[in-house]
Amino acid sequence: MAEASGGGAMDPLKNFEIHPIVEIQLGGLDLSITQPVLWMMIAVAVVFCTLTFVAATLKRSPKGLQNFIEMTVDFLRKDLVHAVIGEEGKAWFPFIATLFLFIATCNLLGLIPGSFTATSNINVTASLALMVFVFVQFAGIKKKGLVGYAKGLVPSGIPKPILVIMIPIEIVSLLVKPFSLAVRLFANMLAGHMVIYVFLGMIILFKSVILTPLPFVGVVIMYAFEIFVALIQAYIFAVLTASYLSDALHEGH
Amino acid sequence: MGLLGAAIGIGLAALGTGIGIGILVGKTVESMARQPEMAGELRTTMFIGVAFVEALALYALVVSLLLIFVKG
Repeated sequence: MAEASGGGAMDPLKNFEIHPIVEIQLGGLDLSITQPVLWMMIAVAVVFCTLTFVAATLKRSPKGLQNFIEMTVDFLRKDLVHAVIGEEGKAWFPFIATLFLFIATCNLLGLIPGSFTATSNINVTASLALMVFVFVQFAGIKKKGLVGYAKGLVPSGIPKPILVIMIPIEIVSLLVKPFSLAVRLFANMLAGHMVIYVFLGMIILFKSVILTPLPFVGVVIMYAFEIFVALIQAYIFAVLTASYLSDALHEGH
Repeated sequence: MGLLGAAIGIGLAALGTGIGIGILVGKTVESMARQPEMAGELRTTMFIGVAFVEALALYALVVSLLLIFVKG
């Protein structure tokens, strides 16, 4: 790839390659600390420290950071969890809020020049999606029992012959959910950041001082758009998790 | 050949997704104008819908990336 004739080597995917920072080998398992791991740790630390700090310095009349955190949590509780799942969502609020804050922080940290977007790695998003999948099944089975939950997956009141077609379709659609959840987040983050890199690469590719402002404007616009996308994707991940949970918890769909 | 396929594939995917999201958002704005008190709920539903439509283009993106980087 990278037909960057003459210009500097331009391979936007180079920036997404994973290199181990601290090599850890445990009995044949590669547990090295790579950039995604490092940046996930940083994301966790940022979220944890911010929330702990705000919780420790709660004031009657909030200002600044406390206002922001209160707004976010209120939004997550009312407009996201309560609006999608309803009263039963209360138990799942911590899980969904954690997912949202973690993914949003990972996405936003990735926008700092020189950093790495943990969510632009399919392994990270796939494990998040797998976790959501397991929790959703767990919630459904706990609520309705194994048989009741399995019955609830197929719409009730359809004739027997159609069931032969319906059951495989429902199984496939059940398994596609975590896949699409993972691919959506991963591809959005990868594609968005790649566009920024390509715009930056154009500056070198054009080899012209007069044309330089054009890709630069492109970079600025895409960067602003990426901030929006980073938040929207975290929101979509959280909303879809909530709606899958709501499907698993409520009768019929 | 792989590069050509990737380019055509992602172009068509973007075309379809563009039309899909256009219709989706347009209809949502229409309903919001008609019933502004429903705006919050409509927005949530719209984002879920957009996520599903958008996922299709992203599958195409993944296939394109595979075509470009995994030379068979």
